[in-house]
Amino acid sequence: MTHPSSGEALAKPAPGGLGRLLDHRVLLSIAVLAILPWLLPSKALAVNVLIYGVVVMGYNLLFGYTGLLSFGQAAFFGAGAYFTGIAIGRYGVPWFAAVAIAVFLSTCLAAVIGIISTRTRGIYFSMVTLALAQLVYYVALQASSFTGGENGLRGFTVDRINLFGLQVNFLDPVNKYYVLMAFAALAMWFQSRILNSPFGAVIEAIRENEQRARACGYDVERSKLVVFMLSGATSSLGGCMLALHLSIVPLDILHYQTSGMIVMMVLLGGARSFFGPFVGAASFLILEDVISLWTPHWQIFVGAIFVLFVLFLPKGIWGTLLDTLGIGKARR
Amino acid sequence: MSKSGSTSKITRRTALAGLSAGAALLAMPRIGRAADETIRIGFPTPLTGPFAAEARDQVKCAELAVKLVNDKGGIGGRKVELLVRDDKLNAGEAATRTLELIEKDKVHAVVGALSSAVQLAVNEVTRARGVIYVSISQSDTINEAKDFSKYTFHEALNPHMTTAAVARQTLKKGMKVAHLVADYAYGHEMLRGFKRAQAAIGADNVGEILHPFGAADYSTFMPRLMSLRPDVLCISNFGRDQANAIKQAVDFGVKQQMKIVVPVILHNQRLAVGPDVFEGVVGGANYYWGLESQSKSAAAFNAAFKAANGGAIPTDYGAYGYSGVGSLLAAMQTAGGTDTDKVVDALEKLQYDLTKGPQHYRKCDHQSVQSVLVLESKKKSAMAGDNDLFAILANDTGSDDMLRSCSELGHAT
Repeated sequence: MTHPSSGEALAKPAPGGLGRLLDHRVLLSIAVLAILPWLLPSKALAVNVLIYGVVVMGYNLLFGYTGLLSFGQAAFFGAGAYFTGIAIGRYGVPWFAAVAIAVFLSTCLAAVIGIISTRTRGIYFSMVTLALAQLVYYVALQASSFTGGENGLRGFTVDRINLFGLQVNFLDPVNKYYVLMAFAALAMWFQSRILNSPFGAVIEAIRENEQRARACGYDVERSKLVVFMLSGATSSLGGCMLALHLSIVPLDILHYQTSGMIVMMVLLGGARSFFGPFVGAASFLILEDVISLWTPHWQIFVGAIFVLFVLFLPKGIWGTLLDTLGIGKARR
Repeated sequence: MSKSGSTSKITRRTALAGLSAGAALLAMPRIGRAADETIRIGFPTPLTGPFAAEARDQVKCAELAVKLVNDKGGIGGRKVELLVRDDKLNAGEAATRTLELIEKDKVHAVVGALSSAVQLAVNEVTRARGVIYVSISQSDTINEAKDFSKYTFHEALNPHMTTAAVARQTLKKGMKVAHLVADYAYGHEMLRGFKRAQAAIGADNVGEILHPFGAADYSTFMPRLMSLRPDVLCISNFGRDQANAIKQAVDFGVKQQMKIVVPVILHNQRLAVGPDVFEGVVGGANYYWGLESQSKSAAAFNAAFKAANGGAIPTDYGAYGYSGVGSLLAAMQTAGGTDTDKVVDALEKLQYDLTKGPQHYRKCDHQSVQSVLVLESKKKSAMAGDNDLFAILANDTGSDDMLRSCSELGHAT
């Protein structure tokens, strides 16, 4: 999908050149994330940008690239967090294994929800995902012996981690940031790889014209299901990161307001752009953080800014910036 | 995309300048900290959302406690600063704010949070980092061994002691009791407390109806509650929910059939809906300004609050802000500073009387042992003035017997 006619791409045979370009997209994003904690007012905010960036990136795959407007992404975000917390707190699983188990189980959940919801289209798809996500919310509320119910899940603080034989103090905000950044980097590499594969082209074809994609012989239904699962898996990784970061899982994480916030972030940052989700997450969280220190009526300002964006910058901050710089087609 | 060769534009000089600027930036907080002697108290509270009215009172009272200490020269010559943060009544937000307070603002202790889930989230963050946390919102869970740590203190009443005091005043053997309960932790804990007290008294439970948190419409619940024909209706909810539920119960004529009882009768909600609706409703409280006729410390607290807030009177949840911050600062005075272990030790030994009579933190679970008031809302003709809201039915002196035993909570005794 990216064909900038730069010297590097032409100098080498196509696959190699393309591979190098992809590396740059991910590496540039990582470079920005690496200095983020020193740019933002607090490390806790920077970690939140990472977490929501990954969650929104997963959602962007579904909404931005495939054109499926889901209102239930919170289910996977929450599932990742809850499964991580339960695995560590209840079953004493090591933190890294807990993350792997949580992503796997959340992907299974995404498969179930995906099988049911991808049969529908348009507004019906949005409503079915919303309803199924609410189902997950109420399961978490009722299964309080596992999830802590209303009080949220607690008692799984990870304070030290063993990184290749090195004991790291995970309560230290800087250590925590860079360990979690490694997860974000992994998710970005994975997303980038998918988008540049033939499958990535297929999902964009579905977004542009579903009938035509079907006529070309692509299995639209299966592609939608697979992208739904990949999107769920990525967002659930964000949930795992949140559980490790806060050492609690609040029940609100599964609430539909969280799903709404994810939609807002992707629109703010720019759907269909690779780095847009991180820009969206960062701008939303910074707005909330900074304005709520000035006034208890911060929601009015955030709402007004959101309305202005939808009216005047439909491509979001990052999408508009890339367009202005004339590299919009490269979408990175 | 960087074109090839663009990297060579960064000369060694630029790189060195950039590096040293970066290093200077990193070193800044360290330099700043060395010269800084202020004692900082973090105060996360839900300034937005359905408990905003109570939260604002807590902030005013906490600021008063800080001001009184600063006016007397601070603690060991160090000024005290209160850092208020909006937790938006959201556990995740509260945990993030608390992390910021600890990591960035380097607070010496945290006081605050309103709602069970939020205080447990704050507690989880503070106990992992060895920071003292004084909770000022009702919860039974926070005292139990699973969530407790030596850094956890609970200044507020807990549902167990509140419901027991209210039940003692309102229930008699053989009475029929129905419950309308907010479907979240606070409601569940209050219901559990009432049922335990009912069983001890010998009153019968005729039914329980759960309503969603933040519900605006209670009209479907009222006919069902009336058909149960109870003598007493216990409404266990908080904030705006309490005002809405009582208002609609009165519209349905519930009061002609039965007495309405609430675990905690809220000053602000009574003000919001007026005397006719609340007339005759009985509920528990940690504080009521009218206590000043019985208690010198209440009179002093009222006077200080009036002086600082243009003649306004302090409310029940506001008083928690004052006694929570006040008890912590008193312990810091004794400990002579902010050394955490010394302050914990001082808090455990502290005997304080800030708003209503003697209080102390029980050793095993750090629950504040304190008096519980039972109030009845006055009818309009009986009110001496706009602020004369409640009659004090009982003022139960604090004792360890009011609390669940240490072993029941899972603490080693």
